[in-house]
Amino acid sequence: MSGLRLQLRAPLRDRIDLGPAFGTPWAAASAAEVARREVWSPRSGPVPLGDLFTVEGAPDGTVTLTGDLQLAERVGAGLTEGSMRVDGSVGDRAGAGLRGGRLEVGGNAGHSAGEGMSGGVVIVRGNAGNRAGAAAPGSKRGMTGGELVVLGSAGDETGAAMRRGLVAIGGTTGRCTLLSSIAGTVVACGPTGPDAALWNKRGSLVCLGSVDPAATYRYACVIQPTYLRLLLRRLRDVHGLPVTAEHIDGRFRRYSGDFAETGRGEILAWSPA
Amino acid sequence: MKIRSVFIEDTFAEAFTMRSARLIVTARSARWVREAALKLTGFATSVIGCKCEAGIERVLTEAETPDGRPGVSVLFMVMAKDELPKRLVERVGQTILTCPTTACYDGLPDAPDRVKVGSSLRYFGDGFQASKVIGGQRFWRIPVMEGEFLVAETFGMVKCIGGGNFLILAEDADKALAAAEAAVDAMHGMPGIILPFPGGVVRSGSKVGSRRSKTMIASTNDAYCPTLRAVTATALPDTVNSVLEIVVNGLDAAAINASMRAGIDAACRPGVVSITAGNYGGKLGPHHFKLRDIMGGTSA
Repeated sequence: MSGLRLQLRAPLRDRIDLGPAFGTPWAAASAAEVARREVWSPRSGPVPLGDLFTVEGAPDGTVTLTGDLQLAERVGAGLTEGSMRVDGSVGDRAGAGLRGGRLEVGGNAGHSAGEGMSGGVVIVRGNAGNRAGAAAPGSKRGMTGGELVVLGSAGDETGAAMRRGLVAIGGTTGRCTLLSSIAGTVVACGPTGPDAALWNKRGSLVCLGSVDPAATYRYACVIQPTYLRLLLRRLRDVHGLPVTAEHIDGRFRRYSGDFAETGRGEILAWSPA
Repeated sequence: MKIRSVFIEDTFAEAFTMRSARLIVTARSARWVREAALKLTGFATSVIGCKCEAGIERVLTEAETPDGRPGVSVLFMVMAKDELPKRLVERVGQTILTCPTTACYDGLPDAPDRVKVGSSLRYFGDGFQASKVIGGQRFWRIPVMEGEFLVAETFGMVKCIGGGNFLILAEDADKALAAAEAAVDAMHGMPGIILPFPGGVVRSGSKVGSRRSKTMIASTNDAYCPTLRAVTATALPDTVNSVLEIVVNGLDAAAINASMRAGIDAACRPGVVSITAGNYGGKLGPHHFKLRDIMGGTSA
């Protein structure tokens, strides 16, 4: 088996910030070099990664992390290259600031997964917490590029303050999805919570499940946007989201808004035949 | 060298470097794909008079197109780099944007040289247009009365070869036409090539310049005109009374070689006297397609 393999030596008792470990180029780094990289423990400060994980394997641009990492924050944060896979669940801010490469979380992700990412791909096979793909605290912009795909459900304020990029949620989505977004796209395969796309400027919220557009949205028409055929086929074929032929060939009710803002955004609500 | 009694002349087709884009056009149904493609590639036989050369490369199945609808692949060719964006914006804007249900995608996404098309056409949206990035590629959504027109922001541009050709010298016009049709049928749909002339066939092959006018860059190829046999330095054997030419442009020499091989082989049928090719002595075009090499024989 090629690639680097990191196995947690002992269960984490405190939160740990894994962000510094892979935020700089790592794809060509040896196991020993990776083991020397420091991560941050709020309790004890900088800690070599090798103190927490056994690090094995040869570099080939992939790394696999195993063990209970629910207390590990910022897993894959700032990634610029390569492919990182986590077998289980991770803590908050997984893939925050991701610029390239791919992070795949086999379980759930905490809050703020893909926060402020600008490129690359984050896949969460379980559920994600609040503010997936949203802006970092104090930042005006959320995602500015890349793809964040959650095969399960996502919490509130998914895609808040997005500027560009794509967030796709396989299950239900909480309230205030695409809140205050500038642009970008959120696809919600399940029901979308209340106050969807509030204060959205130019973003697109695509709802394959139920949605109740706010009063500041105006109904425009029923349409079959060609770009959705590309987008939905990609989400189905590449990421395995529950998109059906009926969705791809289907009609969508288009609502323009939010007229509390510029009114140039849209909610596209799938309309079953 | 002979193929089924048809003499293959020891000569070569002389071809030129051009620039090409590949457009994938889709629509709701095969009917509207065809309508769009015919308009897009209309009046695009030769750069001499049309500023570009274009043709349908092949029909695409729903499984082969980006949006899962019926489509065609169209190759578009010009002589100079800076001509391609002008021609594409004109033609896509007037023939694809206007055609119901169509969308237009880049068929050369890996080409490093990019030509702006959607990013120019978007202004038709008068500020209501929007862009989306899907799979790393940017598209423009231009609102139109029917709904929305989707077009790729940029298209890949690659070097290609224009002017591969062969001439079918036959006993009469019917036999020349039948042989030309057989050749076109054999070449049609081969990857990486187009036959830009009507039905893939040219009846008016040209020579460079003119005997009478200094301003004409091309005029009739009198050496191959049967009616001029008695009044010009003819290149026609006595038994030849009609000549048709097949012109083939391709993304690379291998594609042209393969298509010429298939076309010449199909054209070698009763009533055809010989197959030759057009060239300018090898001084103008850098690409030489030797007929006997292509057909597996040996050049002198």
